[in-house]
Amino acid sequence: MTKDQKKQMKILCYVNWLLAEKYNGHQGLRDIDALKEVLELPGGGSLTCLTGDRLTNRKDLYSQLGWFVYYMLENEPFESKNISSVLLMLLWCLEHYKLKYKMDSLLDFIINLDPMRQGNTDISIWFSNNCK
Amino acid sequence: MKRKIIRVGSSRGVLLPREVTRAMNWKFGSEAELTVDEEEKQIVLKTIKVDIPDDFNGEQLKGLEDILIRFDSVLGGIDD
Repeated sequence: MTKDQKKQMKILCYVNWLLAEKYNGHQGLRDIDALKEVLELPGGGSLTCLTGDRLTNRKDLYSQLGWFVYYMLENEPFESKNISSVLLMLLWCLEHYKLKYKMDSLLDFIINLDPMRQGNTDISIWFSNNCK
Repeated sequence: MKRKIIRVGSSRGVLLPREVTRAMNWKFGSEAELTVDEEEKQIVLKTIKVDIPDDFNGEQLKGLEDILIRFDSVLGGIDD
């Protein structure tokens, strides 16, 4: 793993710990390889949006969010609070990059998302259509 | 506040009132650090603080906690 990916892993673990602690979830990492898969983008890239790094364009952000949401929900790397972790991290990213969104739509999309039927590209497109 | 030293098996102990454990956010199994000052005849019991790794952005951690508070009703309603 790269230095950036390790940093992103720590942030995600922190987010999950916060939620498990506050809402009495089972704490801990279920599968570290599943979490690594979330953070390892093709071509050695990483989810730089999770640490608020400057991105060259909006398309990169949507693409990263699509990847992040898809692999987090598909892999479920944590013992509990995987969906909540996705949502909390997304809310932080959307606010950090000053994107407008409707909370009800976002919640409905994440809760009802089925990774068997929607891939990371479909998710990226949803963000590009609903978060501007 | 005054507390009595009580017997706990073959040891001595002090019971912590609920308001203290609440204020300190101590649960069963939480670890605390005890230091003894023999000169002043006092002990200090404090929460163990963990250093934040150097590559953590404190502002981001605070931002995440703020969002957790703002969207408490949404995040707390997810059963996962």
